[in-house]
Amino acid sequence: MTNEPEAISSAVQQRSTELFHGHQDEIHRRTDRMFAYLMTVQWLAGIVAAVWISPRTWAGAQSQIHWHVWAAIFIGGAITGLPVALACLQPGRPLTRHVIGVGQMLTSALLIHLTGGRIETHFHVFGSLAFLAFYRDWRVLISATVVVALDHVLRGAFWPQSVFGVLTSSPWRSIEHAGWVVFEDFFLLISISHGLRELRGIAERQARLEAVNQEIEQRVELRTAELQKEIGERKRSEAERERIHKQLLDVSRQAGMAEVATSVLHNVGNVLNSVNVSCSLIAKALRNPKWTHLAKSAELIQAHSDRLPAFFADDPKGKQLPAFLMKLTGHLAEEQEEVTEELVSLQANVDHIKEIVAMQQSYARISGVQELVSAADLVEDALRMNSLAMERHGVRVVREYSDAPSILVEKHKVLQILVNLIRNAKHALDDRTDDDKRVTLRVGLNGNNCVKIAVLDNGVGIPPENLARIFEHGFTTRKDGHGFGLHSASLSARELGGNLTAHSDGSGLGAKFTLELPVEPKTTSV
Amino acid sequence: MPQNKDTNGTLRQSRRLPLATAIGGLIWLAVIATATVLMLAHAGAPGEASTPPAVWPASSKVPHDQARPTLVLFVHPRCPCSRATIGELAVLMAHAQGKVNVRALFLRPAGTSTDWAESDTWHQAAAIPGVAVQGDDAGTEARRFGMKTSGDAALYAADGRLLFHGGLTISRGHAGDNPGRDTLLALLHNEPTPATQTPVFGCALFEPGTNGLASTECRKERLQP
Repeated sequence: MTNEPEAISSAVQQRSTELFHGHQDEIHRRTDRMFAYLMTVQWLAGIVAAVWISPRTWAGAQSQIHWHVWAAIFIGGAITGLPVALACLQPGRPLTRHVIGVGQMLTSALLIHLTGGRIETHFHVFGSLAFLAFYRDWRVLISATVVVALDHVLRGAFWPQSVFGVLTSSPWRSIEHAGWVVFEDFFLLISISHGLRELRGIAERQARLEAVNQEIEQRVELRTAELQKEIGERKRSEAERERIHKQLLDVSRQAGMAEVATSVLHNVGNVLNSVNVSCSLIAKALRNPKWTHLAKSAELIQAHSDRLPAFFADDPKGKQLPAFLMKLTGHLAEEQEEVTEELVSLQANVDHIKEIVAMQQSYARISGVQELVSAADLVEDALRMNSLAMERHGVRVVREYSDAPSILVEKHKVLQILVNLIRNAKHALDDRTDDDKRVTLRVGLNGNNCVKIAVLDNGVGIPPENLARIFEHGFTTRKDGHGFGLHSASLSARELGGNLTAHSDGSGLGAKFTLELPVEPKTTSV
Repeated sequence: MPQNKDTNGTLRQSRRLPLATAIGGLIWLAVIATATVLMLAHAGAPGEASTPPAVWPASSKVPHDQARPTLVLFVHPRCPCSRATIGELAVLMAHAQGKVNVRALFLRPAGTSTDWAESDTWHQAAAIPGVAVQGDDAGTEARRFGMKTSGDAALYAADGRLLFHGGLTISRGHAGDNPGRDTLLALLHNEPTPATQTPVFGCALFEPGTNGLASTECRKERLQP
């Protein structure tokens, strides 16, 4: 771990060196191109100058093309040719720029010669040195300076008049001329040194920047991979949650249906109790010994059939028998009436069971089909499923139905919700000791084009901490509860495009559950 | 560098290439050096030697100043090399104003119009203070003074003696310090002079064969032995 920064630093250093050489190469190539154009222009300018200044040489009235013109074309072409060719074919190579440096100095010499040694043309030497400094390579300046020095030394030795204008020249004259070149070289070398230092600095900064960018890119890639992994996991988790939710929904639906079924069975069970009681009473009536007394009375009369008058007149039993039979007849008539009543009740109870089962069957059969139904009718059906329990527990039902349009719904879902709410309301009233057990059912239209069904009770109420969790799956306050009912009811309400809300002012202050359903059904995902 | 990243084969090739280029460069330098030597040799080749009379020729129509030295300069008006001579004359006159009477005679070959001689060199000379410019019809005065090369000058003393003759440039059309100008300035300032004649660089004043010359090129006036 401790070697990592060193490794990074070494990598940056290496990259910095690469960039530095890259920049240098770019500068060399660019300057090569510049000189390729410049030297070509210089060559053409030399030809123009020769044609302009010394087009022809004369002898009296005769003339011919001046030697300068040929020199400008051919010597100038020779000087220019190789540097330009190298600049085009081998740009960026050290030899190319050295040849360019030499060629540029030779061009200076040629131009000076073609312009008759004009002092102004000598400025070309100094300008060329400055241009050569564009390479930021001090060696090129040395090459060029050596050419100038050799030119002066050799011509000073062999043709002093061509360079110094005198037939004999002092060596100091060469040194003076070279001195001015060296003078310029000195400052150009300083400038090149600064330029290279700046270039190195730029390369270092760029290398660092690249390293930072690379690190950022790596982090981004890493983070992207992590995010993609997270997204994948999230999607899987989402799918799993969706699956569990669907499963839960199915379970809740089944639980809701179970609620209804339980409610139905509860009611049926209650009715069956009455049926059982009725049957017991009838059986008991049929087993009554009074019929034995009637048989004994008949046997007694049969035994005294030959002397019935004496029997009724003299026999003590005979004397009591008519009164006894009258009384017996009265009792039997009463029993018959009681049995008949029980049979009527029994028949009514059986009919009620039949009715409940038929209603349940009607709701069970139409699952998944939307029907246009009245909210009040749905409330009444739900109430009917709980009617006996409500009656048995002495719960008073208050109906407050307003005009409301029919709603297009899957009515078994609404029934499940309402059965659940009414049962809950009844349970909330179980602990109430007084006789004022009241469930209020309201049907109306809210301002949002929704039918509103409210189930209110004046039971135990809901504390605020429970109110927030009332629709959570598994949340229940009843000992025998499983926490599916309200959760399932809430989900069903949302499936129907509506919603189910609960309100309570607190413990002991009753509760209000409101189911809102759109008149026109909406598709809502849960 | 790109060659460092190349394969070995490419590296071998890239190493051969600079060697070939270096040989080519040497050949290139040799060619240029040879051409330069030839060019300098040509530039340093003087014109045909003049033979001016030792005293001012009496037949000359050129006015001779009796009070001060007279410098007669013969110029081919179309000779490009002589522009440098006029330039040097201007420098001379700047340092010897009033000390010399200068007559610049521009060749006007036979059969040419009057304005043929009035070239830019003529006007350049005419613009120099103290220099009188005139045409030399058919080179009569040039022959009279024994001049054969453009740019040749002869300085005669007030008493008619020849003091100096030769050119005012160091080579063909080359401006700058030169022995001819230095000698003239020394003579005009009555200073000792190392020589009384210098080579002259310029075009021939006459066609080949018309005055004993074989070449149309600018010739040096040969130094007197």
